[in-house]
Amino acid sequence: MNYLDMTIVEMHHALIEGKTTPIELVREAIKRAKEDTNNAFELILEEQAIKEAETIGEPQPHNLLWGIPFVAKDNFSTKGYPTTASSNILNGFIPLYDATVIAKLRELKAIMIAKATLDELAMGGSGTTGHRGPTFNPYDRSHQRMIGGSSAGSAASVSAGIVPFALGSDTGDSVRKPASYAGLVGFKPTWGRISRYGLFPFAPSLDHVGVLARSVADATIVATAISGYDPNDATSSANPVPDDLHLVTSDVSGMRIAVIKAIVNSPHDKVIKQKFELLTSELKQRGAQVDLVSMRRDLLDAIYPIYITLSCAEATSNNANLDGIKFGPATWGATYAAAMMAARTKGFSELIKRRFIIGSYALMRENQAALFLRAQKGRGMIVAELKRILGHFDLILVPAAPSIAPRFIDKTDKLSEEYLIADNHLVLGNFSGFPSMTVPLGLKEGMPFGVNVMAKAFDERAVLKLALAVEEVTGLKSLMAKGGDTK
Amino acid sequence: MNFEAVIGLEIHVEMKTKSKMFSAAPVTYGAPANSATLPLDLAHPGTMPRLNKQAVINAIRVCDALHMDIDREIWFDRKNYFYSDLPKGYQITQNARPIGKNGYLFVKSSNGLRRINITRLHLEEDTAMQHHFRDYTLLDYNRSGIPLMEIVSEPELHTGLEAADYLDKIRSIVTFADVSTGKMEEGSLRCDVNISLRPVGASKFGTKVEVKNINSISNVAKAIDFEIKRQAQVLIAGQAVAQETRRFDDSLKETVSMRMKTDSVDYKYFTEPNLVPVRLSEEFIAAAIAGCPDLAEAKYKRYIEKLGLSEYDANQLVASQPLCKYFDELIGFGANPKAATNWLSGEITGYLNKTNTTFEQFPISSSRLAELLKLIEKGTISNKQAREILEHMLIEQTSPSVLAERLGMHQISDADALKTIVAQVLDENGQSIADFKQGKDRAFGYLVGQVMKKTGGKANPGLASRLVKEALSRR
Repeated sequence: MNYLDMTIVEMHHALIEGKTTPIELVREAIKRAKEDTNNAFELILEEQAIKEAETIGEPQPHNLLWGIPFVAKDNFSTKGYPTTASSNILNGFIPLYDATVIAKLRELKAIMIAKATLDELAMGGSGTTGHRGPTFNPYDRSHQRMIGGSSAGSAASVSAGIVPFALGSDTGDSVRKPASYAGLVGFKPTWGRISRYGLFPFAPSLDHVGVLARSVADATIVATAISGYDPNDATSSANPVPDDLHLVTSDVSGMRIAVIKAIVNSPHDKVIKQKFELLTSELKQRGAQVDLVSMRRDLLDAIYPIYITLSCAEATSNNANLDGIKFGPATWGATYAAAMMAARTKGFSELIKRRFIIGSYALMRENQAALFLRAQKGRGMIVAELKRILGHFDLILVPAAPSIAPRFIDKTDKLSEEYLIADNHLVLGNFSGFPSMTVPLGLKEGMPFGVNVMAKAFDERAVLKLALAVEEVTGLKSLMAKGGDTK
Repeated sequence: MNFEAVIGLEIHVEMKTKSKMFSAAPVTYGAPANSATLPLDLAHPGTMPRLNKQAVINAIRVCDALHMDIDREIWFDRKNYFYSDLPKGYQITQNARPIGKNGYLFVKSSNGLRRINITRLHLEEDTAMQHHFRDYTLLDYNRSGIPLMEIVSEPELHTGLEAADYLDKIRSIVTFADVSTGKMEEGSLRCDVNISLRPVGASKFGTKVEVKNINSISNVAKAIDFEIKRQAQVLIAGQAVAQETRRFDDSLKETVSMRMKTDSVDYKYFTEPNLVPVRLSEEFIAAAIAGCPDLAEAKYKRYIEKLGLSEYDANQLVASQPLCKYFDELIGFGANPKAATNWLSGEITGYLNKTNTTFEQFPISSSRLAELLKLIEKGTISNKQAREILEHMLIEQTSPSVLAERLGMHQISDADALKTIVAQVLDENGQSIADFKQGKDRAFGYLVGQVMKKTGGKANPGLASRLVKEALSRR
């Protein structure tokens, strides 16, 4: 077994004991990245990563991330290295500063080896809309199945075993849904836990930084390392970051777990349903209280329209800075309006333009009350409902997705009535900002699927506890795509 | 038909905080283009706003001076529109909840003081500066993000003079509160005028015209006076006033049409999601207000009651914050208030007018000028000598005592030293003593003159005169 295939803790021990070195790990990771056929990367930072590994200095026994290679989604600002958010409008754009999470990982001497592909500007859930084309699911060598998005390349690179963890961003489910399709742990802590400074915004009130990794422990180690108050992000929380999460056990006895009836009862693949039921009965045997709870159906049906309205409205404003004047590819015109329109016409794909039009429409004076403000109100009602449930329970547990990774051919851009709830409920974690983690639950036809755990704001401890128990029950830890091209 | 003008002012005050409204970049004037910028000021992706605390404190102080209700929470909104000087594609402003509401101040009108209500005061950020050329436009982002306060009056002003006084009072408040340099000519104070006419007694408003780009307070009055005449002529001719934006042409002294106004722009406002609402405690607000420097009114009172200045002198001083500040410093360094006032309104103002400069550019520090004034008061030098020393001080950074020494300007104020000279002069001028005794006053003047001549003009004239008188009485 290559040291790069190990968990972060194992890799750390191997590094400290001198069994391997950062340069070895980085060389191997870059080799695998170069062999990647899943379209996981915007940019491989070979020269820079090797230089960092060579000049890393003395091993740090108390720093688990020392010398560990990783990948960042290409919507994190990286000083001196192109960051495109997989959009043509940012081709060649070289940021002037590091995102806070990038700076923190740099400080800890973790080594970024590549920038990963995403759905254009992180808007999308399929991993197909980036300017480099679709990213493939490493579990399907025939390249017929998607990895999901928008953190497509991040998920693909961890699942293919190129790096032990990757940074992603999650506005709707962009870390936690691909995690389900890729057999990974996808974790977004509470909104405000991790600074968003330097994350190219999609919809700030919903945007989270998230981590993709191959085990609950790995995801937690990374998430904890990049958490904490940041004066550069006024919305980041001063709530102290717990430093004892490594002591949390999988003991779920006495834990009160809510399963939302309408979500599990909405259409799901049969295998997923069965596995989910097996999981809940096992958790009960371990002493957890697992109850089916009801949640207002109209609110669940409203998740998707509310999400589209709010996220598109914020997105149209956040991306108004992309006018080709100050940075990125320049487009000339006789007037500002002409130059700006030329840049945006050329720079954005049709899907992005459609979202901007939806968002703009929802914000128009004559529509704002009926659309945007109503959606905000709806969001508030949904969050109140979640709080009501979490007033009686420690956690909410539901399947992360209704199916294994869909084939490209099956996925249409049309809103699917069938999966209206099952495919969109992870947004609950973005509406509320509550900590939410997807953990592998099972495999079907060699393709993984996951389960999702959500707790109250800042109760990452509860999330971790249940996630560890799930991992123990399923035995699905350190999964890697066997059908991947890197083996 | 008689018309009544209905005028409302929107005033933008650019703050002189150390850093920008939401970025740590410095607030500068005249720095090389684009040197005072950070990625946020150019709206680089992923940058996030941080609220400038001093800007909030400044707003509270001005709200208090304008008797406004101060919101206990600070909320910001996005105002979305595309424009070349707006890097983010939106401006962060306060739309739904301005920090200040329902204020007022009193302005001079033809029939005494009149209360003008102020609708709102809100915080926002400035845009980039544009430099237009024939074929292209250059953008300077140094101004992008500088904190602004917008103060909106109710449409309750009626004349150019009232509007000018209103604007002057706002200028006085923001400069004395140390919030802004308040200079219209430099754009740190900007005023847009909304003006319409209606028949006297009518309750319905006429069509509103907006006048922009006015670069001085007196031009605000001129623009309004012109606009009142222009609109009246249009109405008398039976035509409709066009709804438009006009600018004031300084050389023509007229307003000129810029563009027609169609339906107002939809800015698609929504709450800024990257700033959480900030709660203002009562203590914070109280401390902000308590820490506000004295405004003109308080200074005026102090000058009269504590320093014994005349109303005229006090008024002269409080007309300008930099002047007041300099004056206060002079007093702090021990200068005599009356002498300081005389010098500031005389010599110093003369110099500034002659050189067309302002107090900020005045080359002599207050401590040096105070030293000069004290030399006069002690009798070390005469007023005339002081004026000569001042000429040198304007050119070189040298203390007045050193200059007095170098120019040989020590006044002889030592009575013993002078007595010897007086005795000599009297001994040499027996005829004059006789003349004096016979009642010829001119002889006294002649004798004092001789003392001055013998000392090369350095004798303290008052002392010389007293000593000659004493010596004569003994002869």
